[in-house]
Amino acid sequence: MSDVPKIFTLQQVVSSIRKTIEERYQQYYWVKAEMHKLNRFASGHCFPELLQKKDGKIVAQIRGTIWNHQFETINKRFIQVVKEPLKEDTTLLMQVKVTFHESYGLSLQIVDIDPNYALGELQRERQETLQKLQKEGLINSNQQLKFPLLPKRVAVISAESSKGHSDFMQVLNNNEWNYSFFTMLFPAYLQGDNAARSIIAQLENIKKVLHHFDLVVIVRGGGGEVGLSCYNDYKLCKAIASFPLPVLTGIGHSTNLTVAEMIAFRNAITPTELGDFLLQAFHNFSMPLKDAIKSIKYYAVATVEDEKIALNNLSKHFKNGAQQSLYNNQQKLIAQSREVGSNVRYNLQHNRQKIERLTQNTLRESVHIFQREREKMELLSTQIPRTIKSTILVQKNLLDNLQHSVEIMDPINVLKRGFSITTINGKTLKVDNKAQKGDEIITKTAIFNIKSTIIDIEEDNE
Amino acid sequence: MSKELKYTDAFEELKQIVSDIEDGEISVDELSIKVKRASELIKLCKEKLTSTEEDVNQILKELENN
Repeated sequence: MSDVPKIFTLQQVVSSIRKTIEERYQQYYWVKAEMHKLNRFASGHCFPELLQKKDGKIVAQIRGTIWNHQFETINKRFIQVVKEPLKEDTTLLMQVKVTFHESYGLSLQIVDIDPNYALGELQRERQETLQKLQKEGLINSNQQLKFPLLPKRVAVISAESSKGHSDFMQVLNNNEWNYSFFTMLFPAYLQGDNAARSIIAQLENIKKVLHHFDLVVIVRGGGGEVGLSCYNDYKLCKAIASFPLPVLTGIGHSTNLTVAEMIAFRNAITPTELGDFLLQAFHNFSMPLKDAIKSIKYYAVATVEDEKIALNNLSKHFKNGAQQSLYNNQQKLIAQSREVGSNVRYNLQHNRQKIERLTQNTLRESVHIFQREREKMELLSTQIPRTIKSTILVQKNLLDNLQHSVEIMDPINVLKRGFSITTINGKTLKVDNKAQKGDEIITKTAIFNIKSTIIDIEEDNE
Repeated sequence: MSKELKYTDAFEELKQIVSDIEDGEISVDELSIKVKRASELIKLCKEKLTSTEEDVNQILKELENN
C-alpha cells in the first residue's frame, strides 16, 4: 500500500488556518503600532499598513482593517478629543482582533483607536519640535527680526476659498483710512497631512521674491479646529522660525497654541485680528506724521515768535544801551571840558605868575646889570683918563727918544761936525753914480754949498 | 527693499527734523528750509500709506525665472 499523500484544497487549508487563528486569538488586544498608510477605499473601508520600526528599520509589518462604520466612529471621537482626524505616519494605540480571511489573508481588524494616546503622541511631537528648535537656537529667531515700519507688502499663505483668507483681505482692503496694502496669495493646504509640506514649499517660493515683500502671513479659518497638528511639524516650524521676513500667523482656533504660532513673529487668534494688527502698524506710522505736522507748525511759529521777541528785546536793549552810552559820553565830555577849563585856568594863572615872576626877575636883573654896567663904566671912566695919560706919556717919551735919535741922525749934525756931501746931478756920489772929469759937482757943508768942476780923478784903491 | 528703505529713511529724517525743531536746534535761517523739507517728507510718507507700486506680474515673472 503506497502512501498516497492527502491532498487538501486551498480552501481547506486557509479555512483550517482561519479556524486555528480564530481559536487561538479569540480576545481583543491593545496594540501599539505606527499607521503608515490609511488606504481608505471608496467603500469607506480602510486597510492601513501597520508597522513597528526599530532604529529606522521595519521590524514588524501587518495589514490592518477598519470597516467603514467603525472608521466613522473612531474618526469622530478622534476629532473630538485630538482635534485631528486619523492621520497617517503616527503611532496609535488600537484595539485589534487577529483575523484571517480566506481571500484577503491575515490582518488586524481594528475596532477602536485610543484618541487619548494619540493626543499624547501629538503633545510629544509638539514638545519634541519645541525642544529641537530650542536646541538649535531658532525659537526666537523670527521674533527677533525688525518689524517693517510700514507692513505694506504682504505675502499671504492661505487658500483662496478659505474664510480666513477672505476675512483677512476684507480687513485690509476695506479700511476706512484708505490705507493701501499690496497682497499676493501663495496658495497652500492649511490643514491635514499635506499642509506642512505645502506651506514650506510656498515659503521657499516667497524667498525667491523676498525683496517684493515686507512680511508673510499664514491665515486660515473657517475649517474648524481640526487638523492643526501640522503646525507642530518640526520642518514647518523650522522654516518659519528661520524665515528672513517676519511670519505672522492667524490660523484661527482657541485650543493650545501650536509651535508654529508660538515661534511666529506674531500670532493673532483670527485672520481678522491679524488684519487689524497690520492696520494698527499703519496707524502707528501715520500718527507720528500727524503729530509731526502739528509739532512743526507749533514749534516753527514759536521759533519765529521767540526770534521776534528776542529781536524786540535786543532793539530795546540797543536803544537803551545807545542812550546810556551817549549820556555817559556826554557826561564824560562835560567832565573833561570842565577839567580842561580848570586846567587851562590853572595853567594860565600859573604861567602868568611865572611870567610875572620872570618879568620881575628880569627887571630886577636888568637893573642890576645896568647898575653893574654903570658902575663898571664909571670905574672905567675914571680909569680911562689915567690910562690915556700914562699911555700918552709913554708915547711922548718914545717920541722924544725917537726925536733925539732922529736929530742925531740928521746930516746937518754930521755936516756940523765937518763932514760934507758931494752930489752930481742931484745924486750922491757912489759906486754906481761915478763922476767924470769935467763934471760939475756940488759939495754941501754945514754952512756952504760949494760948486766945483772936476779937474782930475784918482781912484782910491785902498 | 529699496522702496521700504525710502519711506523708512523719509520717516527717520522727518523724526529728526521734528525733534530738532522741538529742541530749538534749528535757527530761523534754516527754519523755512527744514519746514519745507519736512512737508515734502510728510507728503511722501502719506502717499506711501495709500499707494502701492508692486506688480504681481513682475513677481510672477521672477518666480518663474528662479
